Amino acid sequence: MSELATAVFAAHTEAHLVDAPRSTRFATFRKTFDEPGYVRDLHARGYRWIARGDHAFPHRLAAIHDPPPGLFVRGDADLALLERVSVAVVGARACSAYGASVARTLGRELAAAGVVVVSGLARGVDAQSHRGALETGTTVAVLGCGIDRDYPRSHAALAAEIARGGLIVSEYPPGVEPAPWRFPARNRIVGGLTLATVVVEARERSGALITADLALDEGREVLAVPGEITSQLSRGSNHLLRLGAVPVTCANDVLRVLGVEPAPPAPPRVLEPRLERVHALVADAPKTADEVALGIGERVAGIAAALVELELLGLVEQADGLYRAAPNVGSRS
Amino acid sequence: MLARTVTHALVGIEPRRIEVEAHIERGLKAFTIVGLPDKACQEAKERVRSGISSAELGWPAAGRITINLAPAQLRKEGSGFDLPIALALLAASAQLPRDALDGHAAFGELALDGRLRPVPGALVAAEGARRAGLRRLLCAAESGPEVALAGVEPVGVAHLAEAVSYLRGERGPPDLPPPSDDFETLADVPDLADVRGQERARRALEIAAAGRHNLLMAGPPGTGKTMLARRLPGILPLLADEPSLEVTRIHSVAGLLAPGSGLVRVPPFRAPHHAASVAGLIGGGHVGIRPGEVSLAHHGVLFLDELPEFQRPALEGLRQPLEDGFVQVARVTGRVTFPARFQLVAAMNLCPCGARGHGAAECSCTPERVQRYREKLSRALLDRFDLLLAVPRPRAVELAGAPAEPSTPVRERVLAARRRLREQPLERTRAADELLTRAVDRLPLSGRGRARVGRVAETIAALAAAASVEPEHVAEALSFRPPSELVE
Repeated sequence: MSELATAVFAAHTEAHLVDAPRSTRFATFRKTFDEPGYVRDLHARGYRWIARGDHAFPHRLAAIHDPPPGLFVRGDADLALLERVSVAVVGARACSAYGASVARTLGRELAAAGVVVVSGLARGVDAQSHRGALETGTTVAVLGCGIDRDYPRSHAALAAEIARGGLIVSEYPPGVEPAPWRFPARNRIVGGLTLATVVVEARERSGALITADLALDEGREVLAVPGEITSQLSRGSNHLLRLGAVPVTCANDVLRVLGVEPAPPAPPRVLEPRLERVHALVADAPKTADEVALGIGERVAGIAAALVELELLGLVEQADGLYRAAPNVGSRS
Repeated sequence: MLARTVTHALVGIEPRRIEVEAHIERGLKAFTIVGLPDKACQEAKERVRSGISSAELGWPAAGRITINLAPAQLRKEGSGFDLPIALALLAASAQLPRDALDGHAAFGELALDGRLRPVPGALVAAEGARRAGLRRLLCAAESGPEVALAGVEPVGVAHLAEAVSYLRGERGPPDLPPPSDDFETLADVPDLADVRGQERARRALEIAAAGRHNLLMAGPPGTGKTMLARRLPGILPLLADEPSLEVTRIHSVAGLLAPGSGLVRVPPFRAPHHAASVAGLIGGGHVGIRPGEVSLAHHGVLFLDELPEFQRPALEGLRQPLEDGFVQVARVTGRVTFPARFQLVAAMNLCPCGARGHGAAECSCTPERVQRYREKLSRALLDRFDLLLAVPRPRAVELAGAPAEPSTPVRERVLAARRRLREQPLERTRAADELLTRAVDRLPLSGRGRARVGRVAETIAALAAAASVEPEHVAEALSFRPPSELVE
């Protein structure tokens, strides 16, 4: 039962440790380490600790070649959540509006089908997939710092929301500050916890690719969302496709790989003809309100109103003045 | 011998009566000005001495000259005291008839050859004269029209000698050219017809004009944000008498009025550079408290290009005037209030490198950099903007399109909408209310955002001459909400 001591010692010495080291320094540390007291404090703060040897430790994560000594857990959900069918949705922090929209939709539709969406709480794709999943189900965030750190700061509210129905986990004890070298280590947990990893948008050297590599090493599935071949932001994800990753064109592509029954397709929505025409124009290619107005041959005032109605129906999304059709991928298949 | 003239000093944009007393007594030759004169005022000595001799008038031969500016505790700034000092001195040395200065105020700077130069603030000095019950104001000929606006008869003179001959009764007050009606006519304001494409941005501008909404435009460089903003005054109503006088007064103090100009009728447009200091933007300064850009934009448009590049304290300083319509500048020497009821139009890029939303260029900013850029604008400030508009790059088709609608018809619609909004508030229909509630649930929209959308929807309904606020008006208003990235 030295896992907790190992995890805390690793944090103290800023080392990456999987097993208890055979050093006199660790031996000394262990002698003075008050394990029951530490666990009491942890519980008092509402956190949990699962050691690698524990029965509750997620089996998939235990199966990777360098599993963490254990996991610190924040959140209300049962630990069995970590055993459920899960998928990692990861990608660039500086994602495009397209990437953000796809990540959100995938998160939403995968969670709706009962799949647990796992990601890293980072900006961009990570946050969007969490947000999407929160709309319809549960999600798990894996941090590269202490579970009490809420990094990045601007995602504190998102973290709190995740913790309400889902879990936030980390191999680092509370109080550990984020450091660049901890993130690749975090990514192995994201990949290790899940059955498959979906890369939404990734540059040539992206942390998401590390997750994908690790997932591949552990024999998990890797999927990627195709992107524009001219965009730097799709270099990494398109590269994965060339190597044989499963292309994702809709949430059902992911569900099929996981062997999960897709949710029954939503009944086709009947739009009034004018909204239908506006939607068709936007679905063709992203457009500004002015371009849509030009295409329909109407004043922009009414077109802006129509676009808002479509937005409220969840059929159109807007970013930086460009309207695009929401990737309503589940119902297409 | 003792003589006295009256003039008015500026405290902010308020006149304060100053008595200029000149005393000549026998003694060693000396010339002193007392009563807290600043440097420019202290230097009046040299200008007055030279001016009097150039006007072939007599400098008091032997004596000790003391000029007192009362009340003594008020700091006297600027060169407007030259003329009253010279006239008091001439009266004290019996070169002017005893009662000649009764009922007169004086205001102006002297050149070394005795000519009179206009000084900023003549309008305010004239208002002071009127309140003090003085009928006439001696001033530089160029200041005449400004003085006339205050309802005081200007005695505009080109030279000190002319002033003296008038006061001696050798001639009547000189004729003045009639003031041109408007300082700047609408013809000088750029026209909306120059803006090709950008129908949506033009629409936002029209709504902003009709409802006096503050407008924030976000988009890559070169999409015409500045061009659009400059055209806003052209679709606003001309200023009525009272606001016009207020604006003219501020511009007079700031020295922005062209010589011979009348009232400022076109809403002013001010576009300070983003390097502007807090004092420059809000008002203040060490020597003499001067109105800032927010006050120069009173009853007009304050345009802040590159909004996030402004200093944070300057931006936060905008909140008080946006809320109250005035600014209070406090200094050790006193507190000054300037009116500052302006419409705020701001422009920004979507990211520091400017490539976001460009379409053809790829943004190289890290998420942290974009975040920092946007965090410079506090929530409190963003909340002041009713209309937020993403201005994407127009495509070639739009630019090649038909010439756009000119300002005049837009202005007429704005005027009509404002009339309707004044007459009676428009209520939301039930369906419109339901749409708004649905939107608050579904879109990133705060409670304050809801109120904002309601206001804009009312303006849109007024522009459409509708009897009540319908769902389509609310829907269009919703399209001007902050882009989600700005609120996240």
